[in-house]
Amino acid sequence: MTETRILDVETSDEVDTEAMLINMGPQHPSTHGVLRLVLELDGEEVKSCLPDIGFLHRGKEKVGEGYSYHKFIPYTDRLDYLAPLSNNVAYALACEKLFGIECPERAQAIRVICHELSRISAHLLGLGAYAMDLGAMTIFLWTFRERETIYTLIERICGARFTTSYTRIGGVERDLPDDFWPLLAAFVKEMPGRVDEYDAMLSRNKIWRKRTMGVGIITKEQCMQYGLTGPVARGSGIDRDMRKVMPYSGYEKYDFDVPVGVEGDCFDRYMVRIMEMRESCKILGQVLDTIPEGPVINREGDETLKSVLPEKTGVLTNMEALIHQFMVGTESSSAPVGEVYFSVENPKGELGFYLRSKGGHCPDRLRIRGPSFANLQILEELLPGYLVADVMAILGSIDFVMGECDR
Amino acid sequence: MSTMTDHGDPTAAAAVHEAFPDVTQAPVEFAGDVRVWVEPAHECEVLAYARDELGFELFIDRLGADHGEDAELRFDVITLIVHPVTNRRLIFVTSIDEKIADVPTLAGVFRGAGWFEREIYDMYGVTFAGHPNMTRILMPDRFTGWPLRKEYPVEGLGDFAAPRRALGGNVDGTDGMVAVPAHPGQPGAPSADPIRPRDEDGEISNTKEWQP
Repeated sequence: MTETRILDVETSDEVDTEAMLINMGPQHPSTHGVLRLVLELDGEEVKSCLPDIGFLHRGKEKVGEGYSYHKFIPYTDRLDYLAPLSNNVAYALACEKLFGIECPERAQAIRVICHELSRISAHLLGLGAYAMDLGAMTIFLWTFRERETIYTLIERICGARFTTSYTRIGGVERDLPDDFWPLLAAFVKEMPGRVDEYDAMLSRNKIWRKRTMGVGIITKEQCMQYGLTGPVARGSGIDRDMRKVMPYSGYEKYDFDVPVGVEGDCFDRYMVRIMEMRESCKILGQVLDTIPEGPVINREGDETLKSVLPEKTGVLTNMEALIHQFMVGTESSSAPVGEVYFSVENPKGELGFYLRSKGGHCPDRLRIRGPSFANLQILEELLPGYLVADVMAILGSIDFVMGECDR
Repeated sequence: MSTMTDHGDPTAAAAVHEAFPDVTQAPVEFAGDVRVWVEPAHECEVLAYARDELGFELFIDRLGADHGEDAELRFDVITLIVHPVTNRRLIFVTSIDEKIADVPTLAGVFRGAGWFEREIYDMYGVTFAGHPNMTRILMPDRFTGWPLRKEYPVEGLGDFAAPRRALGGNVDGTDGMVAVPAHPGQPGAPSADPIRPRDEDGEISNTKEWQP
């Protein structure tokens, strides 16, 4: 019986090519969270892909409608949970645009530090996990070594490592401690060398190049149509970085380049992230040299005072500040009637907040435009035609976070 | 300040209004954003014009918003597009009634609108005519109701309600909330004291023997 079957296979010209459905995720390690992909396979080749999202949906937009503007800040930590400080900055800026408040220069510089530290941290994790997906275990351990340093810095900034909630409308929660600066200076000095190490380890590695070059090519036209932003769009040659094209928090003062890819394949996206880390170090170095003295929260004008919290140190010692904190915390101020959209360059792409206010303490609509949501939509069109092993390479190069995709 | 808020493109918005005077309204500006109201039936046409003639090729966002049950035109569908060279932004708003509730899909103009429209459908129940896959995207398929509508409670309804216990209320399952068995020791629990035996009336019994 067995022998005849073997003979059958050997003599048969027809190979069984029935399509197979593979359910990848939501708990697959290379889906970096809870993304589910339903893949239709013909042998090793992907015939069609159906992404299924929503496993991490927590109704943040609904929650936001019931909370005052200040109280939503902790929820923004949990959007892109690899760059919580960055989300804090984005939300504070959107609220400031609505309220018409400007943030003091020192707080702006501190926000730039927050932004760039979280960009490096997020790119490090993206790179480490990506390399591990493709079999280069060492990079993951190396990047986590550097991320530990960044988390120490973040701990010095706000006392927490992960759930930062550091920014406030009109500024930041508190000034940075004196012992933060030498730590940051040491980090800025050391980090470019570390990036060179990753670069040397991967960029000329034959296996790495074979796995990433020419795989997952995204065209410029696709980027425009799908609203892809961040390193994914820049890898495809779109020179669009919100820090350059719509500068905020004083980014126009700093000298940095926006790396842009040519081919739009996985390797270009990887390279864009490597180079962005170097540029972030450049920006951090400039902030270190130029950060001005002054207050970290805007305390000018009666209207502004109604909507910003007092400095935390004052609250513990000063009766007026305590009352003020209580009033803003419990009642909050009424926002002007209007609608604003504000977006920043987050590590994953353009994170935007659309706030609609009809007056009152709470937003009428709080929309979060997460870059990962838009960036993941391309999978349906991109994956067919590639091999299953390429799916890991493409997923890692898109570098998404389900927290902001599902919100 | 100018760099912070100056993100809209009033010239392009005026050009759109000029090209479609009957189906658009004059642009509105707030804090630097420019908003153009469009009739739902002509939205694709106007957006295709902005994309092809004015160069606003980059799709950014499409979102829904609810004005509440009393509003005449209840839902807004808002679309954001960007000019990739000048990097100025245009915001198009179309308003619809709950009964009309059928906007032509934008997926023919921007393919990326597909998921965003599914999310609007998921959250508001607004359907898009001609959409290739008008199904829920973030909420589970068996979910009922439209969570971002103003009348939908934040705690949820029916099977999807947050457990009452977590909210600190009673556990009688009223208000459409799901009844959750109370933890021993909580008010309403069948036996608040797990050690002392109770008689049929719920009183602590001294006659029965202790059974630790």
